[in-house]
Amino acid sequence: MVKLLIDGQEVTVPDGTLVVEAAKELGTQIPVYCYHPKMDPAGLCRICLVEIEKIPKLQIACATRVTEGMVVHTMSPKVAEARRGVLEFLLLNHPLDCPICDKGGECDLQDFTMEYGPGASRLTEPKLHKPKRVDLGPTIVLDEERCILCRRCTRFDDEIAQERNLVVVERGHSSLIGTVDGGDYESYFSGNTTEICPVGALTSKAYRFRARPWDLGHADSVCTQCSVGCNYRVDTRFGKIMRTFTRENPAVDGGWICDRGRYTFNYLYESARVRQPLIRRDRELERATLSEALAVTAEKLGAAAAAGRVGVIGGGRLSDEEAFALQRFAREVLRTNNIDHRARLQKYASPARFGARLTDIDDADLILVFGAVTPEQAPILDLRIRRAVARHGARLVFVGPFKPELAVPFDYVEYTTGAIGDLMEALASGVARGVPDGAPFVAELSKALSDAGKIVAVHNGRNVVAATALERLVETLRGNDKSAGILVVGSQGNARGAEAAGCVPNLGPGYAPVSNPGLTTTEMLQAAAAGKLDALFIVGANPALTFPDGGLARKALETVPFLAVSDQLLTETASFADVVFAAASQFEKRGHVTNLEGRRQAFAQAIEAPVHVAADAAILAGLANAMGRIDVLFDDPDWLFSRLEMAEQAAGTKEPLPRPKLDSAAAPQAEALDAQRKTFAVIPVPKLYAGGGAAAHDPGLEPMRPQPRAIFSEDDALLLGIADGRIVTLAGRNGSITVPARIDARTPAGSVLVTADMPDAPVNRLLDASGTGRVTVTPAEARREVTA
Amino acid sequence: MALFEPVIMKGIGEIDLTDIDVYERNGGFAGLRKALREMTPDSVTAEVTNSNLRGRGGAGFPTGRKWGFLPKDGRQRYLVVNCDEAEPGTFKDRMLLEYTPLQIIEGIVISAYAIGAKQAYIYIRGEFLNGSRIFRNALAAASSRHYLGERILDTDFSLDLVVHRGAGAYICGEETAQLESIEGKRGEPRLKPPFPAIAGLYGLPTVVNNVETLCYVKHIIERGAQWFAKIGPEKSPGPKIMSVSGHVKKPGNYEIPLGIPARELIEEYAGGLLPGRTLKAFQPGGASSAALFVEDLDVAIDFDSLGAKRTMLGSGGFVVMDDTACMVNCARTLTRFFEHESCGQCTPCREGGQWVARMVARLEAGEGSEEDLRVLDTINSTITGTNLCPLGDSIMPFLASVLKRFPEEFAAHIAHGGCPLKQTPVGAA
Repeated sequence: MVKLLIDGQEVTVPDGTLVVEAAKELGTQIPVYCYHPKMDPAGLCRICLVEIEKIPKLQIACATRVTEGMVVHTMSPKVAEARRGVLEFLLLNHPLDCPICDKGGECDLQDFTMEYGPGASRLTEPKLHKPKRVDLGPTIVLDEERCILCRRCTRFDDEIAQERNLVVVERGHSSLIGTVDGGDYESYFSGNTTEICPVGALTSKAYRFRARPWDLGHADSVCTQCSVGCNYRVDTRFGKIMRTFTRENPAVDGGWICDRGRYTFNYLYESARVRQPLIRRDRELERATLSEALAVTAEKLGAAAAAGRVGVIGGGRLSDEEAFALQRFAREVLRTNNIDHRARLQKYASPARFGARLTDIDDADLILVFGAVTPEQAPILDLRIRRAVARHGARLVFVGPFKPELAVPFDYVEYTTGAIGDLMEALASGVARGVPDGAPFVAELSKALSDAGKIVAVHNGRNVVAATALERLVETLRGNDKSAGILVVGSQGNARGAEAAGCVPNLGPGYAPVSNPGLTTTEMLQAAAAGKLDALFIVGANPALTFPDGGLARKALETVPFLAVSDQLLTETASFADVVFAAASQFEKRGHVTNLEGRRQAFAQAIEAPVHVAADAAILAGLANAMGRIDVLFDDPDWLFSRLEMAEQAAGTKEPLPRPKLDSAAAPQAEALDAQRKTFAVIPVPKLYAGGGAAAHDPGLEPMRPQPRAIFSEDDALLLGIADGRIVTLAGRNGSITVPARIDARTPAGSVLVTADMPDAPVNRLLDASGTGRVTVTPAEARREVTA
Repeated sequence: MALFEPVIMKGIGEIDLTDIDVYERNGGFAGLRKALREMTPDSVTAEVTNSNLRGRGGAGFPTGRKWGFLPKDGRQRYLVVNCDEAEPGTFKDRMLLEYTPLQIIEGIVISAYAIGAKQAYIYIRGEFLNGSRIFRNALAAASSRHYLGERILDTDFSLDLVVHRGAGAYICGEETAQLESIEGKRGEPRLKPPFPAIAGLYGLPTVVNNVETLCYVKHIIERGAQWFAKIGPEKSPGPKIMSVSGHVKKPGNYEIPLGIPARELIEEYAGGLLPGRTLKAFQPGGASSAALFVEDLDVAIDFDSLGAKRTMLGSGGFVVMDDTACMVNCARTLTRFFEHESCGQCTPCREGGQWVARMVARLEAGEGSEEDLRVLDTINSTITGTNLCPLGDSIMPFLASVLKRFPEEFAAHIAHGGCPLKQTPVGAA
């Protein structure tokens, strides 16, 4: 610890602390522009100059580290003069268009000028002009005249995102913010730059000219667009969401959010939003009241339940309270264990006692990723990986059927989905025996795992063989006094919360085993398709688009005599329904959600739901009521939360946690290469902005939405006679999709990479329940004849 | 009086020192042989330290001490040779590059040997196209004779020397901007600390030395530290090349013993002023230095004496201005230069620099006002000493010095609506 004096006040701070941070301890504000606590000091704006005794020149507080006995003056006349000087310079050619600037009211240039600046400009000539409305990319508009060239944005893109696309171009006072190649600034993290911009230079297209900061209401919320659970603030005006803003939780998000999380809220105001319950009458879905919808559904579900022919799918998009309510509704009201939140391939969401914390990534020596494509499925987790690799020197190993685009260097190990289990087995036994063997890289990787001090593995909970072997590996490493842990990226935002709340067929709340396990999602869909179920109730899930065997899902939804769906949007699944409940969004209710590391976080209600829209908790309580079970469920989140906690305590489950019942679908097998290239193995590729719900209907995401693609290797494209951009039809077991072809050398031979979860070209038409499939490929002309 | 016997300029203009045979016959590579065969790296460093050699690039930091800052931690080290000479008024490195490139190479090898660098870079100003070609030829010749490369002269010492050409930015002469530029990034000064000795090129310990400095290293090794230390003042010893330009009869590079009066440099070396002219001002250390005036002619030319006059020796760009020179015009040229060359990182340099340049340009054009003079008077303290690198500190010294000495000249521009000197043209020399 170091003791120093700042403006006559003594303060003791850790060795190496920056003067600007030491001053904060005393509540002394030293103005900063370029400095940002999350980034390396840059020392550019010079607003933070302070006087340090025994040093003749003023020093920048943002880059000067404290020393024992240092005497700092932050308010001396010399300091005041320097600050006034810097502000005078910054304001010289600044447009002073505060009245129409989004930043007005939360602008550091305004605030510091009020506090330290000169009252008037001494500029006697016309101001210099720069471009005013630069379209920087899909999310951001740049005003070069307002820019003070603090470079927080370019340093963010360099140090934090590790993408190095946003740069300063030109020189001196002609400097501009631009991109390396003059193209768009496209980044999953672009929105953060609008927040850290201390002035109104970078403004978000979604928020431009929509509100003034002082008019905004705030609600502390948690993002549920993926399972990381970043904390954010929802800013509202007149009951509408205007924007979202980071709300730093160092253990979760480190103060950043991704653009999918930041910009996904305008779907609430789109026509696809279900604003009133719908009931199918004469084949058409027609508007109804909530009580009508409840009455019809209660009757049908009640009858099906009485016959023991009912199933419930969902929970991963609900709050913890509602997931608890959903399983309670299934078990206590419908008297069935046919409840499953898993509408995708994920088998389990919790790595149980092998779990790691997100912060474990920060100082990991080796990060092993398989199954999950972290930048697409857990962007803020990926940001931690980027930093660990770039700054901590962590080694990143990615195992999978295709080589993803990652921002930092990594070792890629090509393994088909079915064969990753074998690799994990080999690694586990190699490390356990202390004798690495197998293929050279297996031996090398085993040794690296044995040598690393701290290991974090990330996967998607789909491949049980691989995950089980990995857990054995982690156990061995921990036995050898290594720090090792696993993170499972949830298939839905609250997959882990739903699992813990009992939305699985064999486990109740708190992982309490149930005596008579019900059907899994696959089994329910199989039963429904075979006419063995009379009713399905699907809550916040879209199996028609996301269930791997799309043919089975669609057949089940068509066949089942009664289908009730609760959702915010008229999804592919909802379009099959007999009753659609208009469900409230995350923003329109309060509760808790559990992130991928098992952290349960509270979120507040930001806005009121539209009149005919109800929270799922209310829908479930209403159904229970309508079915005569008036004491089983209430819609009050506090009541539900206390019951959930009581149930968890009662379960008292000890580690290791029991595992959810596995799907009866076969595990994916190692793919054999079709040497004749008559068929190609389909590899679904996840994309951040894909999906059929909010992503498909949010206008804010429109410019970023990916186009469906079929990507071939160069050799295969040559063999097929297709060029880049050629439209091809991929025909598989449940139908076909027609998409533009792309050629990418990274594609494995004999395989085709297909963008996953695209409503216009659902890859699940091509897959079976294990998530694998083979297709034939036909270039466009053949198809043109059909359509002509 | 006898002029100083040149050391590193010896033979320039008389014999072709770019020819390796000529260079060898005239004592070339003797210092290299001595260092590599008879001395340890530590003893080379000790010799340079004892000579009190101060860097000839501008800052005047003691070379031996700079080498001594390198941590002894076994990490790879780099020697970066700064030949990005772009200071207006300075043209000595260009001459050394074009006329005695092998001497530079010899100095590099000795210095790299002293600091234990196996890899060296020479950063040559982009505009020195001809010089870089000459240097590359010299490099090839030196390599073919085993003065560079693997196991130099069959010793255990190896050195690879890479020629890196700049792309026209003055700021890349600043040592950390130069490192950024070599790394392929924008040439912008780094925040210090860490200093290059700790984390320099590619994050590794690095010494950045000027080419003139390294040329003297060769001769210090050959003739001994005492020879060098006894030339000139004790704390600022040795010879130094002064680039004399402006209103003198014989502009050019002159190697002088430090400590001689400015008057001697002008009158004895550079042949004095043009006929009928009187001295108005001179800049002793390039565009960045404050001007001195006729009353300062007896100042000794060395680091400390000029520092005491609140100006500097800098890189030795000695610019002489006689009574035909308009101080406002000179100030306009220089402020425009610094405005243009600011990298744009620091607010005072970027914004203040362009503001000052606009004001001075306006004054020179006769469109200025008393208000401009008041602003210029107060702006010095907010621009100077508030930036990350010395470029920002270079904007004001000349302007401030002539504003103080010739306020009437600025006032006359306002009153006359232009330059009074232009209204009564003086015949060109």
